[in-house]
Amino acid sequence: MLTLRRQIRAAAAANDHVRVRSLRAELREVERRWEEILEPPTLRRPPVREHVHQVLTLLGTPSAAKLIVTVDEAFFAGLLSNTQLTSLRRDEEKSFRASPNARPYYLCAALTTERLSPVRGLLAVSTWPLPQRMIGPLSPRVDFLLATIRIADHVRRIEPSAVALRLLTQLAQNVPGATEGYGPADPAAVAAAARAELDVHQEKDRRQRAEAAQRAAEQLPEVKQLFGAGLRTAARSA
Amino acid sequence: MSLLRSYLKVAAVRDGRAQRATTVRHVHLADAPLVFVPLRLAGEAAAPLAAMVGDDRAHPHLLVVTNPRNRDERFAFMAELAEVVVSYIERFTTQVEMSDTRTPYERCLDAPQILVPNPAGVAFTRLLGRSTRFRKIEGPHAVPPRVPLLGRWLTFLHDRSEFADSAMLLAMTGLLSEHWVTGQSAAEDAKLSTQLAWIDPPHGLTGAEAAVQAEDPLRSPPAGPDTDPGFDHAVLQPLIGGYGVTAQLREALHEQLEPTWNDMWQAVDLLRPLPEGASVAARWERDRAALAWHQRWLTDGGLPQGRLDSAVAAARRLATLEAAQQSYEANRAFDDPLVMADYRAAGVAFAGRVIAVEADRKITPPGGKRAVLRPLVSVRTDDSVRLSPGTRLLSPARPKQKAHLESVEGDVAVLQLNGGLGKGTTLPGVGEIICYADLDPEGHRHPSLPDLADTPWTHGGPPAEYVPTDEDAQEVWS
Amino acid sequence: MSGLDTWRGPNRLDALRGPSKPVDHNARSIAALAANPACQRRAILDAAGIDKGSTIQHLGYPHQFGQSPFALARQEQFKAIVKAHGGAHILRLLRELLHLSVEEAGYHNVEDAADDNGRAVRHRHTRTVLRSAAEQPEHAATLFDDPLLKLNVAGYDVYLEPDVIAFQVGRQFHVVAIKTFAVVDGQADTPKVSAAAREAAVYVHALRELFSSLGLDPARVAHDVVLICPKDFMNFPTAALVDVRHPLEVLRRQLERLSRIDDILDELPPGLSLDLRMEGKTPTRPAAELAAAVSALEARYAPECLAVCEMAYFCRAEARACGSLEALGRTVRDDLGGLESIDTAIHLISGDPVCSPEQDAIATRLQYLRRLHDEAVA
Repeated sequence: MLTLRRQIRAAAAANDHVRVRSLRAELREVERRWEEILEPPTLRRPPVREHVHQVLTLLGTPSAAKLIVTVDEAFFAGLLSNTQLTSLRRDEEKSFRASPNARPYYLCAALTTERLSPVRGLLAVSTWPLPQRMIGPLSPRVDFLLATIRIADHVRRIEPSAVALRLLTQLAQNVPGATEGYGPADPAAVAAAARAELDVHQEKDRRQRAEAAQRAAEQLPEVKQLFGAGLRTAARSA
Repeated sequence: MSLLRSYLKVAAVRDGRAQRATTVRHVHLADAPLVFVPLRLAGEAAAPLAAMVGDDRAHPHLLVVTNPRNRDERFAFMAELAEVVVSYIERFTTQVEMSDTRTPYERCLDAPQILVPNPAGVAFTRLLGRSTRFRKIEGPHAVPPRVPLLGRWLTFLHDRSEFADSAMLLAMTGLLSEHWVTGQSAAEDAKLSTQLAWIDPPHGLTGAEAAVQAEDPLRSPPAGPDTDPGFDHAVLQPLIGGYGVTAQLREALHEQLEPTWNDMWQAVDLLRPLPEGASVAARWERDRAALAWHQRWLTDGGLPQGRLDSAVAAARRLATLEAAQQSYEANRAFDDPLVMADYRAAGVAFAGRVIAVEADRKITPPGGKRAVLRPLVSVRTDDSVRLSPGTRLLSPARPKQKAHLESVEGDVAVLQLNGGLGKGTTLPGVGEIICYADLDPEGHRHPSLPDLADTPWTHGGPPAEYVPTDEDAQEVWS
Repeated sequence: MSGLDTWRGPNRLDALRGPSKPVDHNARSIAALAANPACQRRAILDAAGIDKGSTIQHLGYPHQFGQSPFALARQEQFKAIVKAHGGAHILRLLRELLHLSVEEAGYHNVEDAADDNGRAVRHRHTRTVLRSAAEQPEHAATLFDDPLLKLNVAGYDVYLEPDVIAFQVGRQFHVVAIKTFAVVDGQADTPKVSAAAREAAVYVHALRELFSSLGLDPARVAHDVVLICPKDFMNFPTAALVDVRHPLEVLRRQLERLSRIDDILDELPPGLSLDLRMEGKTPTRPAAELAAAVSALEARYAPECLAVCEMAYFCRAEARACGSLEALGRTVRDDLGGLESIDTAIHLISGDPVCSPEQDAIATRLQYLRRLHDEAVA
């Protein structure tokens, strides 16, 4: 295999694309055989959407894949991976379009208050009130603080794993007054500090979200309320 | 100080091979240096990927991290490296003698010498030291005892390497360009393989031709610590963290490292036959003393080197580094007429024939009462002298005899001798070929800096001794 | 920029490039271009969006500018950490560094709103967002992620890849640059910090241009840039303010010195093409023909090019072939100032008669050096 890779590199350096292609094919074949010998049997795919739903319900805010995976690892089965989440929103949209509201919930998008377009990378739950899925300028901060509070509260309720404590400590580092120096964060102190900052932003953020939610409810068909307006639609409606 | 090097560069292009920049070797070369060629994972500060290390060219140790992002594997690598490097250093620290100076001090009989390919290798060595010296050998995140010891030794060696006169940790590219001038630019000399190609081109090739070949990353992989992006992409990426590929990974990294390993030993072979400069032994003696001092510090339970120098310590260190640099440069010139020629080209040194000596001249110095002996020496020189009267000068032939320049008229320079005239000394004789330079091999200018305890508050006040914290010991490696 | 330029220029540049997709400028390429403003070859290749990597490879030289997949992955990973949770780390660092008040926590991703609608839309959106932020700071977000900036280089507008965040504190806008080199014990590798400062200066410059074009005071864009890097050997972000006044001034001066692309184009042989004639992934243009075409563009090679320009090995071979003294480095060129080539220097060293009176002084100096050298090795 190494010899093949070496040849590919030499061929690539010599700009011999035909040879690169044929060598690559050969390499893939060798690798496939190699893996057949070595690879452990693949695990059965866990029901991804249920896990994600469980995590999002804990967090209560639209969240990025990375946080979802970490929270799953900290508090639940820890079977999710980033790659499983990449196409999730698209699959959910397809399923919704095929037979609307056939499922009790959908994993959907969060929408920008500005244009009601989907926010990249965030997942939300369709059963949440619309304002909860709106993202205005202050919402990322507000949601970060809310999620931190939820995680801190959950850590207090359970016997936290090392991963859970590390996650809490990491989040607490960015909340003013939440931790002092080195060592695992105290969940009560973290929650209190996060609430203190939350008080500063929440009212303004709530107004912006409510206003956008109203617009979305009035202007967008249901599927777009869930999965976001394309830009053209939003531009016309703005 | 570059005119002569520029001349030599042109000559190197003309001859198709590098030109000697010195007549002697100015750096100590150990009988058994430890060659260390480390590689790091691209994009990471100090994640070792592999290393080839050892003092036996036929049997290098190959150390490989199969998954550089895995913390445990990194420490396993460090532990392996510690086995090789600390064992090597401890061969020297156990044998100590006392100096026969007025205040006797300890020095080791010999000292370790670690050779890395380039300055980036030296910097990486520092980072490896920094990332291991605070590690704890018990409790959570414990590491094998030799890992923090390795960190302390690497830090020590790096600290010493900043002194121009130290030879315990050296970058090969620097060592070569100190002794040879190639027909390529300094930027190109930074690549060990091309510099070697100019110094010792394979039969039938000019230096320029050989250097172009040696630039090909497929033939001569980069000397590290950074790897070739093409290699990372085509070979490394599919193997890193892969399943059951350790043997392939080792082979691939062996292939990347071996050419540099061989280059390093070829460079040692080229440097070895050069006769050693007169002051080399004295400089190595300072390294031997520093080694004994650090070994004593370790034995007495001293703390690891801190993260940052205090203000006074930093200023003091800078002043000492500068003094060491000046003294080293002067010594090189005094040991080597070819180095001196560079100073002559710049007009701050000159050589010529003594045409007159006024040996008995006595003058009454301003403010003095008695007349004192102040001989005058006239030298006829073809050099273009750019020194102003009053400049203090010394001659390699009589480095203790202090002189200053009285006047330059036409091609005759007149000097007054001011010291080193006691019994047993000789004066320059008429007809002697002699050289004088505005250089002083002993010219340490001691800075007047306060003691550490008197550090002004503007500079943070007296520094607390650095005590490593748990945080240092547990610092999570990404 | 006159209407004529916009009409004429891109056509001529497109013709030069052929049907391949143009390669975008970024802060690094502009910094590199500004480092050697006299090089018309680089100016034209960049302006025409020519893929220098493929070109140099097809010319038979190694392409040494690829980035390691590990370095790329690391950049992505660290950037994601820094930007996670609405820029939570950034807010912490700005609160520490610039005493940003707690109220200032708004985050606006410019790219979110523009999605796939192309660069012109995204740039227009950036303008709108930043204008309203500048005019009504109390209603605006504090952080602006992924703005798309535009810069006029040698008479042509180029878009700058959004690799940066802008933010406003106390009516002052700053640029944030995220880099992956470590700050160990408060110290980072100086060349890397300088390179980061040069790149950040390009963004500051572009942001100031944008402000001017909006009728806003360009001085509202600070010359202090926030540089975010990993702390020690961790993934934990730390930040420092870097004053980019010096690189900014250098950049401004060098951009002014760039010959106008149109003036260079006017001098080129008619019908000149740098097209690789790609068939799929394979260039089919005879390499010798391409080399001749590239050679028609005047280069200004110096060894510093090796670190910043894909074309450097080609230009070096060219420079060596004609005996350029500059190819040996600036010191040599300055030391032997006045000589046109290495061959002349070699002749003068061997004592050949000088062919022009200007060479008298340098001939004497070379002879002198030769005597000193021969004396020393005797």
